[in-house]
Amino acid sequence: MFTDHSHNRRHLLKLGGGIGMLGLAQLLSAEETGPAPSALTYGPHFAPKAKRVIHLFMNGGPFQGDLFDPKPALEKYAGERPEGADLVTERPTGGLLPSPFKFQPRGESGVPVSELLPQLGQCIDDICVLRSMHADNPNHGPALLQMNNGTIVPTRPSMGAWFLYGLGTENPDLPGYVVLCPGRPVRFSILWNSAFLPSSFQGTYINHSKIDPATMIPHLTNSTWDAQTQRRQLDLLQQLNSVHLETRTETSSLDARSQAIETAYRMQFRGSEAFDVNRETKATREAYGTGHFANGCLLARRLVERGVRFVQVYYGNGQPWDTHSKHNETVPNLCKDIDRPIAALLTDLKQRGLLEDTLVVWGGEFGRTPTSENGNGRDHNHHGFTMWLAGGGVKGGMTYGETDEFGFKATVNKVHVHDLHATILHLLGLDHEQLTFRHAGRDYRLTDVYGQVVHEIIA
Amino acid sequence: MSIRLRLAVCGLILLSNMPLLADPPAFSKEDLAYFERKIRPLLSARCYSCHSKDAKILHGELRVDSSAGLIQGGESGPLLVPGKPEESLLISAIQYQDGLDMPPKGKLPDAEIAELVAWVKRGAPMPPVNEQLAQPAKQIDFEAARQFWSFQPVQEHSQPEVQLADWPTQRIDYFILSAMEREGLSPAVPADRDILIRRLTFDLTGLPPTPEEVQAFVANDSPDAYQELVERLLAAPQYGEKWGRMWLDLVRYTDFTASWLEQPGEPYFYRDWVIKAFNDDIPYDEFVHRQLATDLMAETGPEDLPALGLISLSPTYWKELKLPSEIIKVIVADEWEERIAAVSETFLGLTVACARCHDHKFDPISSEDYYALAGVFASTRSIGRPMIPEKEYAPARAAIAEVAKLEQEVKKLNAAIAKRQKEAKEAAKKAEEAEQESPDAGTTAATAEAADEAMTDLKQQVATLTSRITELKATPHFDAPLASAVSEESVAVERAGKSPQDGTRLAYHDGPQDLPLFSRGDPNRPGEVVPRRFLTVLSPEPKPFTQGSGRLELARAMTSDAAPLAARVIVNRIWHGHFGRGLVNTPSDFGAQGDLPTHPELLDDLAARFMANGWSIKWLHREILLSATWQQSSQPSAEALSIDPANLWLSHMNRRRLDFEPWRDAMLSASGVLDLTLGGRSSNLDQPGNHRRTLYGSIHRHEMSTTLLMHDFPDPNQHSPKRSQTITALQGLFLLNGPLLAEQAKNLVARLEREFPGQTEEQVDRAYWLLLSRQPTEQERALALGFVGETSGEDRLSRWQQYAQVLLATNEFLYLD
Repeated sequence: MFTDHSHNRRHLLKLGGGIGMLGLAQLLSAEETGPAPSALTYGPHFAPKAKRVIHLFMNGGPFQGDLFDPKPALEKYAGERPEGADLVTERPTGGLLPSPFKFQPRGESGVPVSELLPQLGQCIDDICVLRSMHADNPNHGPALLQMNNGTIVPTRPSMGAWFLYGLGTENPDLPGYVVLCPGRPVRFSILWNSAFLPSSFQGTYINHSKIDPATMIPHLTNSTWDAQTQRRQLDLLQQLNSVHLETRTETSSLDARSQAIETAYRMQFRGSEAFDVNRETKATREAYGTGHFANGCLLARRLVERGVRFVQVYYGNGQPWDTHSKHNETVPNLCKDIDRPIAALLTDLKQRGLLEDTLVVWGGEFGRTPTSENGNGRDHNHHGFTMWLAGGGVKGGMTYGETDEFGFKATVNKVHVHDLHATILHLLGLDHEQLTFRHAGRDYRLTDVYGQVVHEIIA
Repeated sequence: MSIRLRLAVCGLILLSNMPLLADPPAFSKEDLAYFERKIRPLLSARCYSCHSKDAKILHGELRVDSSAGLIQGGESGPLLVPGKPEESLLISAIQYQDGLDMPPKGKLPDAEIAELVAWVKRGAPMPPVNEQLAQPAKQIDFEAARQFWSFQPVQEHSQPEVQLADWPTQRIDYFILSAMEREGLSPAVPADRDILIRRLTFDLTGLPPTPEEVQAFVANDSPDAYQELVERLLAAPQYGEKWGRMWLDLVRYTDFTASWLEQPGEPYFYRDWVIKAFNDDIPYDEFVHRQLATDLMAETGPEDLPALGLISLSPTYWKELKLPSEIIKVIVADEWEERIAAVSETFLGLTVACARCHDHKFDPISSEDYYALAGVFASTRSIGRPMIPEKEYAPARAAIAEVAKLEQEVKKLNAAIAKRQKEAKEAAKKAEEAEQESPDAGTTAATAEAADEAMTDLKQQVATLTSRITELKATPHFDAPLASAVSEESVAVERAGKSPQDGTRLAYHDGPQDLPLFSRGDPNRPGEVVPRRFLTVLSPEPKPFTQGSGRLELARAMTSDAAPLAARVIVNRIWHGHFGRGLVNTPSDFGAQGDLPTHPELLDDLAARFMANGWSIKWLHREILLSATWQQSSQPSAEALSIDPANLWLSHMNRRRLDFEPWRDAMLSASGVLDLTLGGRSSNLDQPGNHRRTLYGSIHRHEMSTTLLMHDFPDPNQHSPKRSQTITALQGLFLLNGPLLAEQAKNLVARLEREFPGQTEEQVDRAYWLLLSRQPTEQERALALGFVGETSGEDRLSRWQQYAQVLLATNEFLYLD
C-alpha cells in the first residue's frame, strides 16, 4: 500500500530519471517502437478483461424511456399520476408523459432499441443494457461527481485517476487519461481530478471543438526550436529539477510536474498524429459522420488504440441532455448526433480487434422522469435510469435489471453507481475493495464502503 | 384550466397519497411501552444509520424507524412475521443465517438478538401506523443549533503552556506549539533569510524581491529588519493587488460576460475599488457594509458606488421573454439563489442556498431564512450608476434615455428609407422595361414623384432627429463612466398578455418586496410571505428589515449579530492565504458539513483579537507573518512526515505552488518588462507585449482565456473558496511551446546582455538572482556553462534563450519554500 508521503516516488523518480538520461536517438526510436516503460503503479489483482475504457458521457441526463427501457404503461396512464405510484422528484412534475418514440427488437438478441437510435440498434448484440441504474442525488453537480468520482464530496479522485493509479499508462507519449468535451461540462476539472492521488493521474482536458490538432491542443508545436534542441532543454531542466529535488522531501507534485513536461514533449510528436482525425480514411470519416460528438468518438478510438487508458467523451458544453422543456423536440436531435458515431465506434473497435478488451460505457449522470415537467419537459431522475456497457468482457445482447412499470425507480437487480464502478474496476482486473489509498489516516476506495460487482453481465 | 395546471393540481393531490398499509393490530399499553423502552432504542442504535429517514443513504429501501417501514419491509421483502421469529427475515438476518447478515459490520450481542426474537414472538408490537405518519416534520431546533462551534461567540483564550518556551514570538505560536507538542512534534528550524524574504515578498505583493532587496535583507542584522520589511511590503501598492485578487476569486469577478446578457457599468471600477480597499486597510466590517450597501450609507458618497460590484456583477441568466412567465420566474429565482450562495458563502461560510427547496439538510437554515434573504435581492436591481451625485447626473440620465429612444426611431426611419429606395429601384427598372414595351408611361413618372416627396420627408425627419441626438449628447456628464452598481428596485415577472403564450414582461418597481416561500423552490408554487430579515440561527431575535431592500441591515447583521462567524471566516481566509491551508480546510463551509478547525482555540483567539483590533486585515497579516510558525523552514523532519504527512500541525512551513498570476508576474519582473501601473481597464493577456500584472488580464465569464483555464484560474461563474492545483501535460506544452516563456526568455536574455555584455558567468549568476533570489551552486553554474557552451553571435543568443526558458520552467521557480 502506498501512503501520502511515500507513494510511488521511487517509481516516478526511476521513470523520470530514466527518460531524462535517454538520449534523443533512443527516445525517437522508442517513439517508433511503441510501448515505453510502463508506469505500472499498483498492478492488476487478476487478469483483466478490459485494458482500456471509453466513457461516452451524455451530460445532462438522457431519459431511459425514450431509448432503451420501453414503458407501455405510460400510454395507459398518460397525463395521470396513478394512485400509489411513487413519482416524486425534487421539482414538481405533472402526470405521466409517454414517450412518443417507438421501440423495435433489434439484432439476434431482440433487445428493444428506440427508433431514435437505428444504427446503434444494429450493434445491440454487443451491448449490455443496464436498465436498473440508480444514484443518490438529483442535482447535476453532485450526480456528475458521483458518476465520476464515486461520491458527491468534491475532494475525491476521479475514477480515471483510480484507473491510472491501478494500472498506469501504456503510452508515455500521451496522457493516460484524456477528457474530450467541445466546451465545459458542469463542475469542470473536479470531475477528472486526482485529489489525494498523485497529481500525474489526473485527466487531461481537451476541448475538441476544433479538430486540427494544433488548434485543439494549445501550444502543440514549436516553431522556434527543433526536437533535438528541446531534448537538450529538457535534459537540462530535469537535471536542475533533480538537484532541487535532492534537498527536498514530500515531492509528489514536483515529480508529477517533471513527468508532465516529459509527456508534453513526446505529445508534440505523437500528439499531432494521435489527435488528428484527418489521418483517417474517407470511409472511416464517413462512417462516424460529422459533428463534435462524432469527432470525439473517432478521437477516442485513435487514443485507445495508442494505449490511452481512459477516454471520456462528453456530449457537449454545459448539460445538453438536460431537457426540462421541449423534451420531445430536443431528444431526436441529440440522438441523431450520437447514433451514427457510436455505432461506428463499436463497429470500428470490433473490426480492429479492440472491442474485446476495450470497455465502452454509455450514460448520463442520471436519467429523467417519466412524468412531465411543465407539460413538455422531464425532470432529473436518479432513482432509475439506463446505462450500457459494450466490449471489454461484458456480455452483449442482454438487458440487466428492471425499473418499475413507469421507468421511474430501479426495482429488480438494481445497479448503483458504486456497483457500476466496482464492475468496471473488476473488468480492468482490479478488486475495488483492494484498490485503496491511504490518505488522512484512512484507506480510501473509489467505491467508498459500497459496491458489488455485477457478475451476471460478465462474459 | 390549462392541461399543465390540471396536471400540476392532480400531482399535488396525489403527492399526499401513500401506499395503503395494513395497520398492525391494536396492542396493549404495556406492549407499546415495551416497544418504546426496549425495541425502539435497540433499532435506533443498531439500524437507523442505514435504515431510517435520516440515513445518509437509505439501504435496501428499508426503514425501521416507522411502523409502516417495519411492516412493509424493504427490497428483500417483508421483515416480520409476527409471532414467528423463525420465519422473520429480521431474525434470520441478525442471526447471520442465510446470507443477509445484518448489521454488516458484525453480529449483535446475543442479548440483543434474544430481545428482538422475543419481540417478534410477542407479536412484534408497535404503535399504529397512522400515528407515526402523522408526526410533524422535523423542525429545526435553533436554540440547540446555536451551540454549534462556529456560531458561538469568540473569545480570547489563555496562552497555552508550552515546553519549548523560547520558540514562540507571537501569541499564535503558543497555540501552534502546544498542539505540536501534544502530537509529539517539534518545530522546524527558521527559514534562511534569503528564502524568508522571497516567501514574504511573494506572499504580500505577489512579486519576487529584487536581488538588491534580498542582498540588503540578508546583510541587515538589525533585530527590526524583518519587521521593517513586513511594514514596507504591507505599504506597497502591490499588496492590494495581490490580496484583492484573493477577494475577486470569492466574488466571481469578471470583466466580460456573454454578449447576449446585460452587463451594467464598467466592472474594473469594482476591481480597483477592492485593491484600494485592501491598500487602505478599510476595517473589514466596513468593507462588508460598503460592498453590499454603500449607496444606503450616510458615510459614503457616489464615488464609492463601485463597491456594489459584488452584487452588480453577479452572473445573470438569459431570460427569453417570449416564454411564459412561469418559466422566466424560475430563471429569476435562480439568479437570487446565486446571489444568496455567493454572499452567504463569502461572508459567513454558510451554504444558505441549499435551503431554497427545503430546510437545509445539515445546517440550521430554514426555507423561511432563505426567502427572508431572497427578498433582499429581489428588491435590488443591477444598474450602471455614475460616480457623481445623482442630482448632477439626472439631466444626463434623461438625455441618455432620450437618445436611446431617438436612435430607435432613426433606425426605423432608415429602414423605411432603405425599403423605399429598394422599391423605387425596382419600380424604375419595371418602368424602364415597360417603357421599352409601350412608350406611353406617364403614370409611373407621377408615382415616382410622389415617392420622392415621401423620401425627402423621411430624410428630413432623420436629419432633425440626428441633430437632436447631437444636442442631447452634449449634456454635461453624458459620457460619464458608470460603475457596476445597484438600485433599490423590485423586479416583478409578469405575463405580457392574457395567456402564458403571450410571453413575459419584467417590471421594476420602486421600493422593496417580500417574497413568499416557494414550495420546493418553485416560484410558481408560492406559499406564505416571508418578511426580509437575517438568518434565525445567527440572530438573537430576527427582526424584519425596514430600510429599503434591507441590504444595509443585512450587511450590518453579518458583522454584528453574526460577527463571530464572519470574523472566523475572514481570519481563516487570510490564514489560508499565508499557509496554503486554512485552520478550517473548508474555507467557505463553516457548517456541519465543513471541516472542524485544527486549532479551534487559536481561531477563536485570533478572531476575537481581530475584532478588538478594529477588524484590520493588515493587523492580521502582522500577527501571522511575525510568528515563528510562519517563519519556519519548509523542510519537514522525518518525524513530521511520518506523524503528520498533511502538516495539519504546522511543524514546518508548507511548500506552496505559485498561482498563475504571481508566476507570470515574476517572469515579467525578472525579465525587466513588468508594467506596474495600478488599475484601469483589463487587457488580453495573450496579446504579445502585454506586460501588465496578470490580475489586469481580461476575464471573460463566458469564454475564459485558454491560458487562464489551463492554469487553474477559478471559474468566474461561481464563488471560489480555493484554487485547485492541477498538473497536466497541457501545462507542459505551455512551458515548451507557449509564447509566454519564449517571450520572457528573450526579454531576460536581453536584460542580462544589457547589464553584463558578453560576461557569461555574471549573466548566469544574475539570472539566478533575478529568478530564484539566490546564487547558483557550482554544479548549477557548470550545467549552465555546459549548456551555453563556447558559442558566439546568433548561436550564443539562441543558446541563451533556450537556457533562460529552462530556468523559467524549473520547479524551483514555481514552488515557494
